[in-house]
Amino acid sequence: MRNIWTIARNTFKLEVRDKILYGIIIFAILYIFFEIFLGDLVLKELPMVKSFGLTGIYFFNAIIALFLGTTSFFKDIDRKVVYFIISKPVSRAQFLLGKFFGLCLVLLMTTAVLAVAYIALIAYEQGGFDVLGLAAIFMQYLEMALFLAFAIFVSTFSSSLLSIVYTSAVFFLGHIVSALIADAQAVKITGVKFILVEIFYYVFPNLEKFDVRNLAIHDVATPALSVVLALAYAVAYITFLLSASVWIFNKKEI
Amino acid sequence: MVEFSHLTKTYKKRNVVDGFSLVVDVPIFGFLGQNGAGKTTIMKMIVGLLAPTSGTITIDGVASTNEASKKKMGYMPETPYFYERMTGLEFMRFCDELDGSEHARSKKGRIAHYESILKKVGIFNARNAEIKTYSKGMRQRLGFAQALVNDPEYLFLDEPLDGLDPIGRREMKEVMLDLKKEGRKVFLNTHILYDVEETCDAVGIIHEGHLLYAGPVKAFTAGKHLEERFMETVAAHEKTLAVNARQ
Repeated sequence: MRNIWTIARNTFKLEVRDKILYGIIIFAILYIFFEIFLGDLVLKELPMVKSFGLTGIYFFNAIIALFLGTTSFFKDIDRKVVYFIISKPVSRAQFLLGKFFGLCLVLLMTTAVLAVAYIALIAYEQGGFDVLGLAAIFMQYLEMALFLAFAIFVSTFSSSLLSIVYTSAVFFLGHIVSALIADAQAVKITGVKFILVEIFYYVFPNLEKFDVRNLAIHDVATPALSVVLALAYAVAYITFLLSASVWIFNKKEI
Repeated sequence: MVEFSHLTKTYKKRNVVDGFSLVVDVPIFGFLGQNGAGKTTIMKMIVGLLAPTSGTITIDGVASTNEASKKKMGYMPETPYFYERMTGLEFMRFCDELDGSEHARSKKGRIAHYESILKKVGIFNARNAEIKTYSKGMRQRLGFAQALVNDPEYLFLDEPLDGLDPIGRREMKEVMLDLKKEGRKVFLNTHILYDVEETCDAVGIIHEGHLLYAGPVKAFTAGKHLEERFMETVAAHEKTLAVNARQ
Protein backbone atom coordinates (compact mmCIF):
# COMPACT_ATOMS: atom_id res chain seq x y z
CA MET A 1 0.00 0.00 0.00
CA ARG A 2 2.83 2.39 0.88
CA ASN A 3 4.34 2.14 -2.60
CA ILE A 4 0.96 2.69 -4.25
CA TRP A 5 0.43 5.80 -2.14
CA THR A 6 3.96 7.10 -2.88
CA ILE A 7 3.43 6.70 -6.63
CA ALA A 8 -0.11 8.13 -6.47
CA ARG A 9 1.05 11.18 -4.54
CA ASN A 10 3.96 11.70 -6.90
CA THR A 11 1.69 11.35 -9.96
CA PHE A 12 -0.70 13.91 -8.48
CA LYS A 13 2.11 16.36 -7.71
CA LEU A 14 3.55 16.08 -11.21
CA GLU A 15 0.27 16.34 -13.08
CA VAL A 16 -0.93 19.40 -11.18
CA ARG A 17 2.26 21.14 -12.28
CA ASP A 18 1.20 20.69 -15.89
CA LYS A 19 0.27 23.99 -17.49
CA ILE A 20 -2.07 22.23 -19.93
CA LEU A 21 -4.20 21.07 -17.00
CA TYR A 22 -4.40 24.59 -15.62
CA GLY A 23 -5.37 25.86 -19.06
CA ILE A 24 -8.28 23.41 -19.23
CA ILE A 25 -9.43 24.22 -15.67
CA ILE A 26 -9.30 27.98 -16.24
CA PHE A 27 -11.19 27.59 -19.49
CA ALA A 28 -13.80 25.40 -17.77
CA ILE A 29 -14.31 27.93 -14.96
CA LEU A 30 -14.66 30.74 -17.48
CA TYR A 31 -17.18 28.60 -19.34
CA ILE A 32 -19.23 28.02 -16.19
CA PHE A 33 -19.25 31.69 -15.18
CA PHE A 34 -19.96 32.75 -18.73
CA GLU A 35 -23.45 31.41 -18.04
CA ILE A 36 -24.13 34.43 -15.85
CA PHE A 37 -24.05 36.58 -18.97
CA LEU A 38 -25.52 33.91 -21.22
CA GLY A 39 -28.35 33.38 -18.72
CA ASP A 40 -29.29 37.04 -18.96
CA LEU A 41 -29.22 36.92 -22.71
CA VAL A 42 -30.71 33.60 -23.80
CA LEU A 43 -31.01 30.90 -21.14
CA LYS A 44 -33.41 32.72 -18.84
CA GLU A 45 -34.48 29.55 -17.04
CA LEU A 46 -32.56 27.86 -14.22
CA PRO A 47 -32.76 24.30 -15.65
CA MET A 48 -30.97 25.57 -18.73
CA VAL A 49 -28.27 27.16 -16.59
CA LYS A 50 -27.88 23.90 -14.61
CA SER A 51 -27.76 21.84 -17.77
CA PHE A 52 -25.15 24.12 -19.27
CA GLY A 53 -23.05 23.99 -16.07
CA LEU A 54 -23.22 20.24 -15.46
CA THR A 55 -22.55 19.44 -19.11
CA GLY A 56 -19.59 21.80 -19.00
CA ILE A 57 -18.09 20.04 -15.98
CA TYR A 58 -18.69 16.68 -17.66
CA PHE A 59 -17.15 17.77 -20.96
CA PHE A 60 -14.03 19.35 -19.48
CA ASN A 61 -13.45 16.47 -17.05
CA ALA A 62 -13.79 14.02 -19.94
CA ILE A 63 -11.07 15.95 -21.80
CA ILE A 64 -8.85 15.89 -18.70
CA ALA A 65 -9.48 12.17 -18.11
CA LEU A 66 -8.71 11.38 -21.74
CA PHE A 67 -5.58 13.52 -21.68
CA LEU A 68 -4.26 12.10 -18.39
CA GLY A 69 -5.31 8.50 -18.92
CA THR A 70 -3.77 8.14 -22.35
CA THR A 71 -0.51 10.01 -21.68
CA SER A 72 0.61 9.73 -18.05
CA PHE A 73 1.09 5.95 -17.78
CA PHE A 74 2.26 5.57 -21.38
CA LYS A 75 4.86 8.35 -21.04
CA ASP A 76 6.43 6.71 -17.99
CA ILE A 77 6.93 3.52 -19.99
CA ASP A 78 7.89 5.17 -23.25
CA ARG A 79 10.36 7.59 -21.65
CA LYS A 80 11.71 4.79 -19.46
CA VAL A 81 11.20 6.65 -16.17
CA VAL A 82 9.62 3.39 -15.06
CA TYR A 83 13.12 1.84 -15.00
CA PHE A 84 13.90 3.72 -11.80
CA ILE A 85 10.66 2.61 -10.20
CA ILE A 86 10.50 -1.06 -11.14
CA SER A 87 14.15 -1.58 -10.18
CA LYS A 88 13.20 -0.58 -6.60
CA PRO A 89 11.22 -2.93 -4.37
CA VAL A 90 8.06 -1.99 -6.28
CA SER A 91 5.90 -4.41 -8.24
CA ARG A 92 4.43 -3.55 -11.61
CA ALA A 93 0.95 -3.85 -10.12
CA GLN A 94 1.84 -1.27 -7.46
CA PHE A 95 3.17 1.08 -10.12
CA LEU A 96 0.07 0.78 -12.28
CA LEU A 97 -2.33 1.16 -9.35
CA GLY A 98 -0.34 4.11 -8.05
CA LYS A 99 -0.64 5.82 -11.41
CA PHE A 100 -4.39 5.15 -11.52
CA PHE A 101 -5.09 6.46 -8.03
CA GLY A 102 -2.82 9.46 -8.60
CA LEU A 103 -4.76 10.38 -11.74
CA CYS A 104 -8.04 9.82 -9.85
CA LEU A 105 -6.78 12.35 -7.30
CA VAL A 106 -6.08 14.85 -10.08
CA LEU A 107 -9.61 14.32 -11.43
CA LEU A 108 -11.00 14.69 -7.93
CA MET A 109 -9.21 18.01 -7.60
CA THR A 110 -10.44 19.30 -10.97
CA THR A 111 -13.98 18.04 -10.24
CA ALA A 112 -13.94 19.74 -6.85
CA VAL A 113 -12.74 23.05 -8.33
CA LEU A 114 -15.38 22.98 -11.07
CA ALA A 115 -18.06 21.83 -8.61
CA VAL A 116 -17.33 24.82 -6.35
CA ALA A 117 -17.63 27.12 -9.38
CA TYR A 118 -20.93 25.46 -10.35
CA ILE A 119 -22.41 25.53 -6.84
CA ALA A 120 -21.44 29.21 -6.52
CA LEU A 121 -23.08 29.95 -9.86
CA ILE A 122 -26.34 28.18 -8.94
CA ALA A 123 -26.35 29.84 -5.51
CA TYR A 124 -25.99 33.20 -7.28
CA GLU A 125 -28.78 32.36 -9.73
CA GLN A 126 -31.30 30.74 -7.35
CA GLY A 127 -29.98 31.61 -3.92
CA GLY A 128 -29.74 27.99 -2.74
CA PHE A 129 -27.41 24.99 -2.51
CA ASP A 130 -27.81 22.56 -5.42
CA VAL A 131 -27.48 19.21 -3.64
CA LEU A 132 -28.88 17.30 -6.60
CA GLY A 133 -26.36 18.95 -8.88
CA LEU A 134 -23.63 17.81 -6.53
CA ALA A 135 -24.96 14.24 -6.68
CA ALA A 136 -24.90 14.43 -10.49
CA ILE A 137 -21.29 15.66 -10.35
CA PHE A 138 -20.39 12.71 -8.07
CA MET A 139 -21.90 10.30 -10.61
CA GLN A 140 -19.95 12.03 -13.37
CA TYR A 141 -16.80 11.55 -11.31
CA LEU A 142 -17.45 7.79 -11.12
CA GLU A 143 -17.82 7.70 -14.89
CA MET A 144 -14.57 9.60 -15.32
CA ALA A 145 -12.73 7.18 -12.98
CA LEU A 146 -13.99 4.30 -15.12
CA PHE A 147 -13.01 6.18 -18.26
CA LEU A 148 -9.53 6.71 -16.77
CA ALA A 149 -9.17 2.99 -15.96
CA PHE A 150 -10.11 2.17 -19.55
CA ALA A 151 -7.55 4.65 -20.90
CA ILE A 152 -4.82 3.07 -18.73
CA PHE A 153 -5.91 -0.40 -19.81
CA VAL A 154 -5.56 0.57 -23.49
CA SER A 155 -2.20 2.27 -22.77
CA THR A 156 -0.77 -1.06 -21.59
CA PHE A 157 -0.80 -2.39 -25.16
CA SER A 158 -0.99 0.56 -27.53
CA SER A 159 0.61 3.91 -28.24
CA SER A 160 -0.63 7.17 -26.81
CA LEU A 161 -2.28 8.23 -30.06
CA LEU A 162 -4.07 4.91 -30.55
CA SER A 163 -5.15 4.98 -26.90
CA ILE A 164 -6.89 8.30 -27.57
CA VAL A 165 -8.71 6.76 -30.55
CA TYR A 166 -9.73 3.57 -28.70
CA THR A 167 -10.72 5.33 -25.50
CA SER A 168 -12.76 7.95 -27.37
CA ALA A 169 -14.52 5.17 -29.29
CA VAL A 170 -15.36 3.37 -26.05
CA PHE A 171 -16.60 6.62 -24.56
CA PHE A 172 -18.99 6.97 -27.49
CA LEU A 173 -20.06 3.29 -27.44
CA GLY A 174 -20.49 3.41 -23.66
CA HIS A 175 -23.20 5.97 -24.12
CA ILE A 176 -25.12 4.12 -26.80
CA VAL A 177 -24.97 0.47 -25.65
CA SER A 178 -28.12 0.69 -23.50
CA ALA A 179 -30.03 2.45 -26.29
CA LEU A 180 -28.69 -0.09 -28.76
CA ILE A 181 -30.01 -3.12 -26.88
CA ALA A 182 -33.33 -1.38 -26.21
CA ASP A 183 -33.71 -0.63 -29.92
CA ALA A 184 -32.72 -4.20 -30.82
CA GLN A 185 -35.42 -5.54 -28.52
CA ALA A 186 -37.97 -3.03 -29.83
CA VAL A 187 -37.46 -4.00 -33.47
CA LYS A 188 -37.21 -7.68 -32.43
CA ILE A 189 -33.76 -8.45 -33.85
CA THR A 190 -32.92 -12.15 -33.33
CA GLY A 191 -30.13 -14.64 -34.00
CA VAL A 192 -26.51 -13.69 -34.54
CA LYS A 193 -27.30 -9.98 -34.85
CA PHE A 194 -28.90 -9.90 -31.43
CA ILE A 195 -26.01 -11.90 -29.93
CA LEU A 196 -23.62 -9.29 -31.34
CA VAL A 197 -25.67 -6.51 -29.78
CA GLU A 198 -25.63 -8.41 -26.47
CA ILE A 199 -21.86 -8.84 -26.65
CA PHE A 200 -21.56 -5.07 -27.22
CA TYR A 201 -23.84 -4.47 -24.27
CA TYR A 202 -21.94 -6.69 -21.85
CA VAL A 203 -18.38 -6.00 -22.99
CA PHE A 204 -18.43 -2.21 -23.23
CA PRO A 205 -19.05 -0.15 -20.12
CA ASN A 206 -22.56 1.20 -19.84
CA LEU A 207 -21.78 4.85 -19.15
CA GLU A 208 -25.42 5.88 -19.22
CA LYS A 209 -25.71 4.43 -15.70
CA PHE A 210 -23.88 7.51 -14.48
CA ASP A 211 -25.89 10.10 -16.33
CA VAL A 212 -28.33 11.64 -13.85
CA ARG A 213 -27.92 15.19 -15.10
CA ASN A 214 -31.47 15.37 -16.42
CA LEU A 215 -32.85 14.44 -13.01
CA ALA A 216 -30.73 17.05 -11.26
CA ILE A 217 -31.65 19.72 -13.79
CA HIS A 218 -35.36 19.18 -13.10
CA ASP A 219 -34.90 18.94 -9.33
CA VAL A 220 -35.69 15.22 -9.22
CA ALA A 221 -33.63 13.31 -6.65
CA THR A 222 -31.59 10.37 -7.93
CA PRO A 223 -32.85 7.18 -6.24
CA ALA A 224 -30.33 6.02 -3.63
CA LEU A 225 -30.40 2.54 -5.14
CA SER A 226 -29.31 3.93 -8.52
CA VAL A 227 -26.36 5.65 -6.89
CA VAL A 228 -25.37 2.48 -5.02
CA LEU A 229 -25.73 0.33 -8.14
CA ALA A 230 -23.74 2.82 -10.22
CA LEU A 231 -21.02 2.87 -7.58
CA ALA A 232 -20.92 -0.95 -7.45
CA TYR A 233 -20.85 -1.10 -11.26
CA ALA A 234 -17.98 1.40 -11.43
CA VAL A 235 -15.97 -0.42 -8.76
CA ALA A 236 -16.52 -3.81 -10.44
CA TYR A 237 -15.68 -2.55 -13.92
CA ILE A 238 -12.63 -0.61 -12.74
CA THR A 239 -11.40 -3.66 -10.79
CA PHE A 240 -11.76 -5.78 -13.91
CA LEU A 241 -9.97 -3.23 -16.11
CA LEU A 242 -7.11 -2.72 -13.66
CA SER A 243 -6.69 -6.48 -13.15
CA ALA A 244 -6.50 -6.97 -16.92
CA SER A 245 -4.05 -4.04 -17.17
CA VAL A 246 -1.79 -5.54 -14.49
CA TRP A 247 -1.90 -8.92 -16.22
CA ILE A 248 -0.82 -7.38 -19.54
CA PHE A 249 1.75 -5.08 -17.93
CA ASN A 250 3.32 -8.01 -16.04
CA LYS A 251 3.95 -9.74 -19.35
CA LYS A 252 5.24 -6.64 -21.10
CA GLU A 253 8.97 -6.27 -21.74
CA ILE A 254 9.95 -2.74 -20.86
CA MET B 1 27.81 -12.58 -4.21
CA VAL B 2 25.94 -12.44 -7.50
CA GLU B 3 25.39 -15.67 -9.34
CA PHE B 4 24.13 -16.14 -12.88
CA SER B 5 23.15 -19.67 -13.78
CA HIS B 6 22.47 -20.76 -17.37
CA LEU B 7 20.90 -17.40 -18.12
CA THR B 8 19.29 -17.12 -21.54
CA LYS B 9 17.20 -14.41 -23.13
CA THR B 10 15.58 -15.03 -26.47
CA TYR B 11 14.00 -12.44 -28.77
CA LYS B 12 12.26 -13.71 -31.88
CA LYS B 13 14.13 -17.02 -31.79
CA ARG B 14 17.50 -15.23 -31.40
CA ASN B 15 19.44 -15.72 -28.18
CA VAL B 16 20.72 -12.29 -27.16
CA VAL B 17 22.05 -13.87 -23.95
CA ASP B 18 23.01 -17.48 -24.31
CA GLY B 19 23.66 -19.85 -21.39
CA PHE B 20 25.37 -17.17 -19.33
CA SER B 21 26.81 -18.58 -16.10
CA LEU B 22 29.05 -16.61 -13.77
CA VAL B 23 29.77 -16.02 -10.10
CA VAL B 24 30.87 -12.52 -9.16
CA ASP B 25 32.32 -11.68 -5.79
CA VAL B 26 34.75 -8.81 -6.35
CA PRO B 27 34.40 -5.14 -5.37
CA ILE B 28 34.19 -3.70 -8.88
CA PHE B 29 33.25 -5.92 -11.78
CA GLY B 30 33.08 -4.65 -15.35
CA PHE B 31 30.87 -6.13 -18.05
CA LEU B 32 32.71 -5.32 -21.21
CA GLY B 33 31.37 -5.76 -24.70
CA GLN B 34 30.45 -4.06 -27.94
CA ASN B 35 27.10 -2.36 -28.45
CA GLY B 36 24.43 -5.05 -28.65
CA ALA B 37 26.60 -7.67 -26.89
CA GLY B 38 23.89 -8.30 -24.29
CA LYS B 39 25.25 -6.28 -21.35
CA THR B 40 22.17 -4.10 -20.89
CA THR B 41 19.86 -7.09 -21.31
CA ILE B 42 21.69 -8.88 -18.49
CA MET B 43 21.51 -5.83 -16.25
CA LYS B 44 17.80 -5.40 -16.98
CA MET B 45 17.24 -9.04 -16.03
CA ILE B 46 19.13 -8.53 -12.75
CA VAL B 47 16.82 -5.69 -11.68
CA GLY B 48 13.61 -7.25 -13.00
CA LEU B 49 12.93 -5.06 -16.02
CA LEU B 50 13.18 -8.12 -18.24
CA ALA B 51 12.37 -11.72 -17.43
CA PRO B 52 14.93 -14.37 -18.43
CA THR B 53 13.75 -16.94 -20.97
CA SER B 54 15.54 -19.48 -18.77
CA GLY B 55 18.11 -19.53 -16.00
CA THR B 56 18.41 -17.71 -12.71
CA ILE B 57 20.14 -14.73 -11.11
CA THR B 58 20.67 -14.67 -7.36
CA ILE B 59 22.15 -12.14 -4.96
CA ASP B 60 23.53 -13.74 -1.81
CA GLY B 61 21.49 -16.82 -2.67
CA VAL B 62 18.17 -15.01 -3.11
CA ALA B 63 16.51 -14.32 -6.50
CA SER B 64 17.59 -10.88 -7.68
CA THR B 65 14.01 -9.80 -8.31
CA ASN B 66 12.97 -10.69 -4.76
CA GLU B 67 12.07 -7.68 -2.60
CA ALA B 68 14.89 -8.49 -0.14
CA SER B 69 17.43 -8.46 -2.99
CA LYS B 70 16.03 -5.24 -4.46
CA LYS B 71 16.44 -3.51 -1.11
CA LYS B 72 20.15 -4.33 -1.31
CA MET B 73 20.64 -2.91 -4.77
CA GLY B 74 20.90 0.38 -6.56
CA TYR B 75 20.44 0.60 -10.31
CA MET B 76 21.33 3.26 -12.80
CA PRO B 77 19.86 2.68 -16.27
CA GLU B 78 21.65 3.53 -19.49
CA THR B 79 20.73 7.10 -20.55
CA PRO B 80 18.47 7.80 -17.58
CA TYR B 81 15.15 9.59 -18.07
CA PHE B 82 13.41 11.47 -15.28
CA TYR B 83 10.25 13.29 -14.35
CA GLU B 84 11.21 16.60 -15.91
CA ARG B 85 9.08 18.78 -13.64
CA MET B 86 10.68 17.41 -10.47
CA THR B 87 13.73 18.92 -8.83
CA GLY B 88 16.82 16.79 -8.18
CA LEU B 89 16.10 16.75 -4.47
CA GLU B 90 12.46 15.74 -5.00
CA PHE B 91 13.55 12.90 -7.23
CA MET B 92 15.96 11.65 -4.57
CA ARG B 93 13.16 11.70 -2.00
CA PHE B 94 10.79 9.89 -4.34
CA CYS B 95 13.35 7.12 -4.95
CA ASP B 96 14.09 6.86 -1.24
CA GLU B 97 10.41 6.46 -0.41
CA LEU B 98 10.07 3.71 -3.00
CA ASP B 99 12.98 1.89 -1.43
CA GLY B 100 11.26 2.11 1.93
CA SER B 101 14.52 3.16 3.49
CA GLU B 102 13.44 6.70 4.38
CA HIS B 103 12.16 5.68 7.82
CA ALA B 104 15.70 4.87 8.92
CA ARG B 105 16.34 8.63 9.21
CA SER B 106 14.59 11.68 10.61
CA LYS B 107 13.21 14.21 8.12
CA LYS B 108 16.25 16.46 8.60
CA GLY B 109 18.54 13.46 8.42
CA ARG B 110 16.96 12.40 5.14
CA ILE B 111 17.46 15.78 3.49
CA ALA B 112 21.07 15.80 4.74
CA HIS B 113 21.51 12.30 3.30
CA TYR B 114 20.17 13.31 -0.15
CA GLU B 115 22.28 16.44 -0.13
CA SER B 116 25.44 14.57 0.80
CA ILE B 117 24.92 12.20 -2.15
CA LEU B 118 24.21 15.10 -4.50
CA LYS B 119 27.41 16.75 -3.25
CA LYS B 120 29.32 13.54 -3.83
CA VAL B 121 28.19 13.36 -7.47
CA GLY B 122 28.65 17.10 -8.01
CA ILE B 123 25.12 18.44 -8.56
CA PHE B 124 24.39 19.83 -5.10
CA ASN B 125 24.04 23.39 -6.42
CA ALA B 126 21.33 22.28 -8.86
CA ARG B 127 19.37 20.31 -6.25
CA ASN B 128 16.40 22.68 -6.26
CA ALA B 129 16.33 23.21 -10.02
CA GLU B 130 13.84 21.32 -12.19
CA ILE B 131 15.41 18.33 -13.92
CA LYS B 132 14.33 19.70 -17.30
CA THR B 133 17.04 22.36 -16.86
CA TYR B 134 19.78 19.74 -16.29
CA SER B 135 22.46 19.04 -18.89
CA LYS B 136 23.15 15.48 -20.10
CA GLY B 137 26.06 15.16 -17.67
CA MET B 138 23.95 16.38 -14.75
CA ARG B 139 21.24 13.85 -15.58
CA GLN B 140 23.87 11.12 -15.63
CA ARG B 141 25.06 12.25 -12.20
CA LEU B 142 21.50 12.32 -10.85
CA GLY B 143 20.96 8.80 -12.22
CA PHE B 144 24.05 7.75 -10.27
CA ALA B 145 22.90 9.63 -7.16
CA GLN B 146 19.48 7.97 -6.98
CA ALA B 147 21.15 4.56 -7.13
CA LEU B 148 22.95 5.44 -3.88
CA VAL B 149 19.92 6.69 -1.97
CA ASN B 150 19.21 3.43 -0.12
CA ASP B 151 22.87 2.80 0.83
CA PRO B 152 22.97 -0.29 -1.41
CA GLU B 153 25.32 -3.20 -0.95
CA TYR B 154 25.27 -3.82 -4.70
CA LEU B 155 25.30 -1.20 -7.41
CA PHE B 156 24.39 -1.98 -11.01
CA LEU B 157 25.48 0.83 -13.28
CA ASP B 158 24.71 0.73 -16.99
CA GLU B 159 27.16 2.91 -18.92
CA PRO B 160 27.46 5.37 -15.99
CA LEU B 161 30.20 7.45 -17.57
CA ASP B 162 28.45 8.10 -20.88
CA GLY B 163 27.85 11.77 -21.58
CA LEU B 164 30.28 12.99 -18.93
CA ASP B 165 33.15 15.33 -19.67
CA PRO B 166 36.69 14.25 -18.67
CA ILE B 167 36.43 15.90 -15.25
CA GLY B 168 33.02 14.30 -14.69
CA ARG B 169 34.38 10.88 -15.66
CA ARG B 170 37.25 11.28 -13.24
CA GLU B 171 34.90 12.33 -10.44
CA MET B 172 32.51 9.44 -11.01
CA LYS B 173 35.35 6.95 -11.08
CA GLU B 174 36.55 8.35 -7.76
CA VAL B 175 33.04 7.89 -6.36
CA MET B 176 33.13 4.26 -7.49
CA LEU B 177 36.49 3.73 -5.83
CA ASP B 178 35.12 5.32 -2.64
CA LEU B 179 32.17 2.92 -2.77
CA LYS B 180 34.64 0.06 -3.05
CA LYS B 181 36.42 1.33 0.08
CA GLU B 182 33.06 1.38 1.88
CA GLY B 183 32.67 -2.32 1.07
CA ARG B 184 29.99 -1.99 -1.60
CA LYS B 185 30.06 -4.01 -4.77
CA VAL B 186 29.81 -2.31 -8.13
CA PHE B 187 28.76 -3.86 -11.43
CA LEU B 188 29.66 -1.69 -14.32
CA ASN B 189 28.48 -2.02 -17.91
CA THR B 190 30.70 -0.28 -20.36
CA HIS B 191 32.18 -0.45 -23.81
CA ILE B 192 34.96 1.96 -22.85
CA LEU B 193 38.04 -0.15 -22.18
CA TYR B 194 40.01 2.55 -20.42
CA ASP B 195 37.33 2.85 -17.70
CA VAL B 196 37.57 -0.87 -17.01
CA GLU B 197 41.34 -0.83 -16.76
CA GLU B 198 41.22 2.04 -14.32
CA THR B 199 38.45 0.93 -12.00
CA CYS B 200 37.63 -2.77 -12.22
CA ASP B 201 39.07 -5.63 -10.20
CA ALA B 202 37.65 -8.20 -12.57
CA VAL B 203 36.09 -8.16 -15.98
CA GLY B 204 33.57 -10.19 -17.96
CA ILE B 205 33.95 -10.08 -21.73
CA ILE B 206 30.62 -10.53 -23.47
CA HIS B 207 30.13 -10.97 -27.16
CA GLU B 208 26.79 -11.67 -28.83
CA GLY B 209 25.34 -12.96 -25.59
CA HIS B 210 28.24 -15.32 -24.81
CA LEU B 211 30.62 -14.92 -21.93
CA LEU B 212 34.11 -15.20 -23.44
CA TYR B 213 36.17 -14.45 -20.37
CA ALA B 214 35.64 -13.71 -16.68
CA GLY B 215 38.42 -12.99 -14.26
CA PRO B 216 40.99 -10.45 -13.09
CA VAL B 217 41.81 -7.66 -15.53
CA LYS B 218 45.55 -8.19 -15.18
CA ALA B 219 45.30 -11.90 -15.88
CA PHE B 220 43.28 -11.10 -19.00
CA THR B 221 45.59 -8.45 -20.40
CA ALA B 222 48.76 -10.43 -19.58
CA GLY B 223 50.97 -7.42 -20.24
CA LYS B 224 49.15 -6.35 -23.41
CA HIS B 225 46.75 -3.47 -23.88
CA LEU B 226 43.17 -4.31 -22.87
CA GLU B 227 41.96 -3.19 -26.29
CA GLU B 228 44.34 -5.54 -28.04
CA ARG B 229 43.33 -8.49 -25.83
CA PHE B 230 39.66 -7.68 -26.23
CA MET B 231 39.95 -7.67 -30.03
CA GLU B 232 41.93 -10.93 -29.99
CA THR B 233 39.35 -12.63 -27.77
CA VAL B 234 36.41 -11.55 -29.90
CA ALA B 235 38.22 -12.51 -33.12
CA ALA B 236 39.11 -15.95 -31.69
CA HIS B 237 35.48 -16.52 -30.72
CA GLU B 238 34.21 -15.55 -34.16
CA LYS B 239 36.78 -17.81 -35.80
CA THR B 240 35.62 -20.74 -33.64
CA LEU B 241 32.00 -20.03 -34.57
CA ALA B 242 32.89 -19.93 -38.26
CA VAL B 243 34.76 -23.25 -38.03
CA ASN B 244 31.84 -24.84 -36.17
CA ALA B 245 29.41 -23.52 -38.77
CA ARG B 246 31.47 -25.04 -41.61
CA GLN B 247 31.47 -28.42 -39.85
